[in-house]
Amino acid sequence: MYTEKNIMKRVVYGLLTVVLVSLAWFNSSMAAEGPLLLELAKTNIKISTFYNGTTLDVAGSLPADEDVVVQLSGPKKDVHLKEKGKVAGFLWMNKTDVSLENTPAVYMVYTPTGSTADKFLNPDLGVGYQALVKDITSNPESADKTFIFGEYVKLMEKSGVYAINEGTVKYGEPNDGMKSFIITLTIPSKMSAGTYKVAALAMKDGVVTSRVTEDLTLELSGLPAAISSMAYGRPLLFGFMAVFIAVGAGLLVGVLFRGGGGAH
Amino acid sequence: MFYMYLPIAGNSVNILLILGLGGFVGLLSGIFGVGGGFLMTPLLMMFGIPPTVAAASDSNQIVGASTSGTLAHMRHGNVDIAMGVMLLIGGIAGGTVGVQIIKLLRAIGGADFLIAITYVIMLGGVGGYMFWESLQSMKKSKTTTAEAKMSAGEQKPTKKSLLQMLPLQYKFEKSGCHISMLLPLGFGILVGILAAIMGVGGGFIMVPVMVYLLRMPMHVVVGTSLFQILFTCINVTVMQAYSNKTVDFVLAVLLLLGSTIGAQVGTSIGKKLKADQLKIMLASLVLLVCAKMMAGLLMTPTIMVALKGGH
Repeated sequence: MYTEKNIMKRVVYGLLTVVLVSLAWFNSSMAAEGPLLLELAKTNIKISTFYNGTTLDVAGSLPADEDVVVQLSGPKKDVHLKEKGKVAGFLWMNKTDVSLENTPAVYMVYTPTGSTADKFLNPDLGVGYQALVKDITSNPESADKTFIFGEYVKLMEKSGVYAINEGTVKYGEPNDGMKSFIITLTIPSKMSAGTYKVAALAMKDGVVTSRVTEDLTLELSGLPAAISSMAYGRPLLFGFMAVFIAVGAGLLVGVLFRGGGGAH
Repeated sequence: MFYMYLPIAGNSVNILLILGLGGFVGLLSGIFGVGGGFLMTPLLMMFGIPPTVAAASDSNQIVGASTSGTLAHMRHGNVDIAMGVMLLIGGIAGGTVGVQIIKLLRAIGGADFLIAITYVIMLGGVGGYMFWESLQSMKKSKTTTAEAKMSAGEQKPTKKSLLQMLPLQYKFEKSGCHISMLLPLGFGILVGILAAIMGVGGGFIMVPVMVYLLRMPMHVVVGTSLFQILFTCINVTVMQAYSNKTVDFVLAVLLLLGSTIGAQVGTSIGKKLKADQLKIMLASLVLLVCAKMMAGLLMTPTIMVALKGGH
């Protein structure tokens, strides 16, 4: 009898625990997501031998009367630059050293259809290049941070890792006070391995109402991973291997050409 | 489909484009005996390769192209190994001195200015002189050859008597000259210093030095230059891979697939050309690079910052 009672007790406690845990999980997931939902088609991208950048489908939903801006931003790092200036009065050269600290390696903004991007590119909303400037420090501090960063943005836009994509987020038909959104993000080949953040910001009347962020990881795999680990892990051996293979290829082609020519 | 990822450069490139680029520069290297770094590095930068990776991977590629080119020239008997070794020893010694000069200048400032000025003066001076000289000799060859022989004969005795005073006289058979070993050693040091300051292999300075100062036959110059470049670039590749980790092996292999073949084709083209034609073509190429460099210095840049590490 005693053991039977004990078993019953355990079963009841067990069931109770399951119910409580489920309730807690349900509550917390609802709170975190709020009315804004964001989903990435994949959260891990492999960089293999023939990789040439890719695209990433992103979808979600938000209240029908709000707008959404999607941001893809990369690991923050210190950027070392040379500011150009005139030497001897007429020669343009890389003149002074300037560093921008805490600068994202990648920054892309996707704004929704139906409005101009200017409506959303606002430092107070935390969107756009101007919003990045306040987190960046320049070294030396006397440098014109806004100007230097502005020029750096031009350089990064040229290489495809900074972009403002106006009117690219598309909405679905409103349903039950909610609407869906979709956007295909460009992942350029210049985006190196690392962890990035994809954020969706819901906005209404010039205020951010909610924000959801997901991690996106890019990692080297296969041949690129093997070469990279050797180049950084065993640099001397890597150097000799590179020379050995180059000499080998040169000799091989040299011999092949002699064979083909038949002369001498 | 035709793209490949470069793990050290951190970017993808079109395979066919890089093969073609390698082939083109390899062709020039086989014809003129230059490494082609002064052309390849800016071209790679145009395709989004960081400058430091472009320069280091290019030197790895030159190892392949110059092996192939040296082999082809050796078969034609166009490599003066003794001369090449003396130039090489001088070049390495000069390179070490040059690197120290740059380090010192970087510390006290003004290194970039010196680099740019050296570039423009060397390219302009060397290219301009070669162009003018080969144009003159092409004109001359149309007039009586006897006259040319006379003037050459008049010049030679005075030069020889001066040079014969130096110790360590040696007969460089392939080059057809009997001179002191100190001469190529000294010129090697000079080219080495300049090459280190400019951050290039120095082929386009070494070639004119051999033609005009050492008076070597043009075809032996090309072969000997390639032989010398091969060893210089082996040293650079290992050093870059070890201390800076900037050798992108995938990029180098793609480039050398093209360039080793290009170097072979270039050698047979070069063999068919006359020495003056070779000189005037190389001179035009050097002047073209000089003009581009000048334009870059004089025109107001569209972007006022550059990533550190490039020229």
